[in-house]
Amino acid sequence: MNEKKLEKMKQDYENIKIPQELRQRVEAGIRQAKGERSEIMCENKDKNKAENKKSNFMVYIGRAVSAAAAALLVITVMANSGAGIAHAMSKIPVIGAIAEVVTFRQYESAKNNMDANIKIPEVSVKNQDGTVNEDTTQKINKSIQEYTDEMIAQYEADVAAAGESEGHMNVSLDYSVITDNERLFSIRFDELLVMASGTQMVKIYHIDKQTGELIGLSGLFQEGVDYITPISENIKQQMKAQMAADEMVSYFLDSDVPEWDFQAISADTTFYVNENGKLVIVFNEYEVAPGYMGSVEFEIPTEVVQDFVQEGFLR
Amino acid sequence: MRTDNIQKKVEETVLSSYEAMYRLAYTYVRSEADALDIVQESVYKAIKHSSSVKKEAYIKTWLWRIVMNTALDFIRKSKKEIASDTFYEDGKEDSYQDFDTLDALNTLTEKEKTVVALRFFEELKLNEIAEILNENPNTVKTILYRSLKKLKRKLEPQPTEGAQKYE
Repeated sequence: MNEKKLEKMKQDYENIKIPQELRQRVEAGIRQAKGERSEIMCENKDKNKAENKKSNFMVYIGRAVSAAAAALLVITVMANSGAGIAHAMSKIPVIGAIAEVVTFRQYESAKNNMDANIKIPEVSVKNQDGTVNEDTTQKINKSIQEYTDEMIAQYEADVAAAGESEGHMNVSLDYSVITDNERLFSIRFDELLVMASGTQMVKIYHIDKQTGELIGLSGLFQEGVDYITPISENIKQQMKAQMAADEMVSYFLDSDVPEWDFQAISADTTFYVNENGKLVIVFNEYEVAPGYMGSVEFEIPTEVVQDFVQEGFLR
Repeated sequence: MRTDNIQKKVEETVLSSYEAMYRLAYTYVRSEADALDIVQESVYKAIKHSSSVKKEAYIKTWLWRIVMNTALDFIRKSKKEIASDTFYEDGKEDSYQDFDTLDALNTLTEKEKTVVALRFFEELKLNEIAEILNENPNTVKTILYRSLKKLKRKLEPQPTEGAQKYE
């Protein structure tokens, strides 16, 4: 090997242009990982005070925002009703009577090639008699407010950090009502953060209006049952089937780094109920699959959980 | 406590070596956007799984390994989109005096690229590379010699002559 040639190659290697964006991307990677790690720690704390749903809720928001990535936020409001009332209510159009988006504010900004467009809805939740359920209404709007405030603060900090130089960033947040039936009202937030390539994060929030508390996955099921194992096993089967069917599909399962493989969902796993009344488990980008897969979702056949799911949640 | 400490060290290592991580990623994919994605994902993995590093001394090699695996995974999944030799037609290479010698790396397999990049560009020791690749040092040596032969053929000005020289 000609030493000069090798030297030239080495020089070319050292001269590989480092994009300005690299530092930001490295920091984004760190933020994403840390957001998830701090959530794990908080989850552990919460196990000691299982009833503290509120802190759980706030942790989620912290995670979604610290990730500063595309996020999907769904707030689910259960009809505040006993069985009899639910039956009666199924006969009347529920939309507007239970929960609705009453107004929204918009945050818009554009500076140095960085721009933000954040829509902040305000939700109103009502009891069957038409009076406003102050407690839940306040809880939802407060959490939306905190979520968007932090998003805006992060954007403004990034703009300030960029100074007079050109940034390349686009943040947008939009929302839509995805579920609105007798029992559920779900509002979903899509946050997209684009820095050369977009990143996607998913987080979903649930409020049980019967108790006025925020609920996690366990709230769908009878107390004390093991729902984690059957759902996790079903997801693994689906992963395997998808990977076998399409070589472009890849999950962290049976990989050469076993300690990173998907093991099981947790009580705080993200989920929602889709338009067919099926439970859908959502994983953030990187959580169970390489980044190019984005965030991934698995619809769980209701047979898997029908023995212990509470009445009225799933079909 | 120990976990936090290791995580901090990993973060420090990441922040002091992300440019090198980027160069290695770029060597595989030859695309700025893809290399950025690979670095971000590698950083994410490194911080998230920092507790799996056994000793502080291994952090650097472990980071290299993550970048390599992430890049290879990326390539495996987007094989069709990666243009390997298509940037330069034969003959065109010679007419450009200052052509990017890194294109010669395209003649190598991914593993050979890794060995050459880590050994000559990043100046790692053979046994460190062996650790990263999970191979024994002798295999790494073999790969290195084989890669150099291939590179030599590619980099020599007259391909026909080069092909006859085996050393």
